[in-house]
Amino acid sequence: MTYVKNRLRRTMMFVPGNNPAMVKDAGIYGADSIMLDLEDAVSLTEKDAARMLVYNAIKTVDFGGAEIVVRINGQDTPFYDEDVKAMVRAGVDVIRLPKTESAAMIQKLVKDMEAAEEEYGVEKGSIGVMAAIESAKGVLNSPEIATASPLMMGLAVSGEDYTADMHTHRYPDGRELEFARNMVLQSARAAGVYAFDTVFSNMNDTEGFFRETNYIYELGYDGKSLVNPRQVAMVNQVFNPTKDEIENAQAVQNAIREAKAKGSGVISMNGKMVDKPVVEKANRVIETAKASNLIDEEGNYIGE
Amino acid sequence: MDKIIDLYLNNLQTREKWQSFLKKHGLSNFSPREIDVIDHTFGLVNDDGKLVGTGSVADNVLKYVAVSKDEAVSGARFNQIVTALQQYLFAQKIFHSFVFTKTQYSQSFSHLGFTELAHNDVAAFLESGTPDINDFVKAIPRIEKQNEKKIAAIVMNANPFTMGHRQLVQLASQENDLVYLFVVSTDASLFSSNERMNLVKSGTADLKNVIVLSGSDYLVSKSTFPAYFLKSPDDLIATQTEIDALVFKNKIAPNLAISRRYLGTEPFSNTTNVYNQSLIRILRPNIEVKIVDRFTVNEKVITATQVRQLIKQNKINDIEAYVPTTTMQFIYEHYRELQDRIKKGMKIDGN
Amino acid sequence: MEIKTIGVAGTLESSDIQIMITQGNNGIEIDLESEVIKAYGEQIKKVIIDTLTKYGIENAKVKATDKGALDCVIAARTLAAAQRATETSNHPELEVL
Repeated sequence: MTYVKNRLRRTMMFVPGNNPAMVKDAGIYGADSIMLDLEDAVSLTEKDAARMLVYNAIKTVDFGGAEIVVRINGQDTPFYDEDVKAMVRAGVDVIRLPKTESAAMIQKLVKDMEAAEEEYGVEKGSIGVMAAIESAKGVLNSPEIATASPLMMGLAVSGEDYTADMHTHRYPDGRELEFARNMVLQSARAAGVYAFDTVFSNMNDTEGFFRETNYIYELGYDGKSLVNPRQVAMVNQVFNPTKDEIENAQAVQNAIREAKAKGSGVISMNGKMVDKPVVEKANRVIETAKASNLIDEEGNYIGE
Repeated sequence: MDKIIDLYLNNLQTREKWQSFLKKHGLSNFSPREIDVIDHTFGLVNDDGKLVGTGSVADNVLKYVAVSKDEAVSGARFNQIVTALQQYLFAQKIFHSFVFTKTQYSQSFSHLGFTELAHNDVAAFLESGTPDINDFVKAIPRIEKQNEKKIAAIVMNANPFTMGHRQLVQLASQENDLVYLFVVSTDASLFSSNERMNLVKSGTADLKNVIVLSGSDYLVSKSTFPAYFLKSPDDLIATQTEIDALVFKNKIAPNLAISRRYLGTEPFSNTTNVYNQSLIRILRPNIEVKIVDRFTVNEKVITATQVRQLIKQNKINDIEAYVPTTTMQFIYEHYRELQDRIKKGMKIDGN
Repeated sequence: MEIKTIGVAGTLESSDIQIMITQGNNGIEIDLESEVIKAYGEQIKKVIIDTLTKYGIENAKVKATDKGALDCVIAARTLAAAQRATETSNHPELEVL
């Protein structure tokens, strides 16, 4: 496995790192990314055992092509150093740092990863990093965090800890997260990295889950963190492009092909210039459509 | 997904919620004696935050384990609760645990690596971890050709070791090739476990065929007395003592070729009386039960209870007639300390 | 590697295995409880023995309660228990896995 900077990341499914049943089956639900958790989901007395389990799982379990992210323990804990070493050694795709509050913390992580890569003969730069933003300070420093390293994959808002830091808690309407969501998204976009929304943990409130997912999709988030495999299909449903969007994206790609065939440097469609953001958006739409089986190999629409 | 949480029973609301959950699952004994010894309690809650399982530990004993059966996952919930309880014990370096449970749940614990030590109609007693009863029995010294010899066993608390005890041991010593003398290990008496052990050892040092041992967790141990699912105290005593007798009969006696158990008659203690009745019922005919009348001094029955009373009443001179010189010497040397213990609330009227 | 204390790792939950390691002096003795002991008992024991041997433990008593664990889980739990038993958990020796 090697870290790929740009890929589809609609769903990031949390899996407790000390639970073999859930780790073993994590790949079967079709999540784009799987986040194996060594932090909050593992009790203090089981950190050593969970680390070994996750290490061995990464080396041997088939996760069905999903990207493997590991949330390690924070830099203020005695578990951090060994977590970094073990995950570098295991060859994880991305290491997620919890409670990130500054660019320096990410730079320290990258430095520690480099040392481990050196020690264990792992290719340098083959593992990405991402930052969990869980505090007011983290939100305000998110621009510098997002640009802290070329290895930065993305930023994730972590709602529970953030709202606690803000002296509030989660509400159904999500207004308490408004600033953080927008700030983190701006920082991610400006830096050209991914943005992930926080988890929604009330499994019985399906309506609320769709409301929140639609909302963050409209804001422009790349994906959402999940705690339950059942939420994967629900998020994908929201993130699915419409038939019109797909056709438009296909037209953009056709325009590019035609321009290339003609050897033309300027690409235009319907009298407008096709520039980089348009091309990237079209690629994203087609990639998503393929992943959700909305178009076949030849690009024919096969959705509902 | 179900989640393990800590339950703090010192909160009245939590405690009521916990009790009503257990009541729904057939557990009804919430006497202070059972609840006050609990060290910690876990709950299992589902996605809605509803309590779907619980379990507690007291010392190295698992108690009040119950899981909701309304969904198909009751087995997984049971495993989750027992794992949480064990990890709690492991973290305190307790690697050996027991459970007293209803007989029908014995199997469920067996699937989790517990070994049944005994069961009767209502209760089962199981252990898990190490060192276990096999290690306990294996470590007991043996003599040559033990299987062909007459081997006897006595279990006593010896709080403290009296002339009555001494004469019972002496009789067994005369009538057998070897006597295993098990001293109750639970530290809940006026004389501490160590003190009782030493008094028994020094009081029997001249009897060369007597081996003094700790009863450990397997012979009359308070930590294995949580029969909380029983309705009345009489049931409770009968069940616990039956289980205790079964452990002795099936797990301890055969491996040591013990063919006799010596008991003193018990004119004053109802509990000991019930215990003796259980022993007779369970052990015979495989193991001979010899009941020896209490020895008397000046026509007065000797009991350890009286000795403790005399210490309390500051009548040290009256004690001399009841105890061997080794015990008397200890009492002289620790007289103030023993009286202090009584003053600080140590109960002396039990066993 | 010297066993200094009792080491336990793993849970009694589905797909896991609980491994308890104590001092022994008669090679590696394994007491295994598993619902699939007939089909996989030997394989489970092999993974435990291989892991302990590679870690450098030659004598130990092992009590294993299996709930259908994969080999990678068995090895991880065995190493975790072994390092706890040798009081070396702070320096995970992942090369054993």
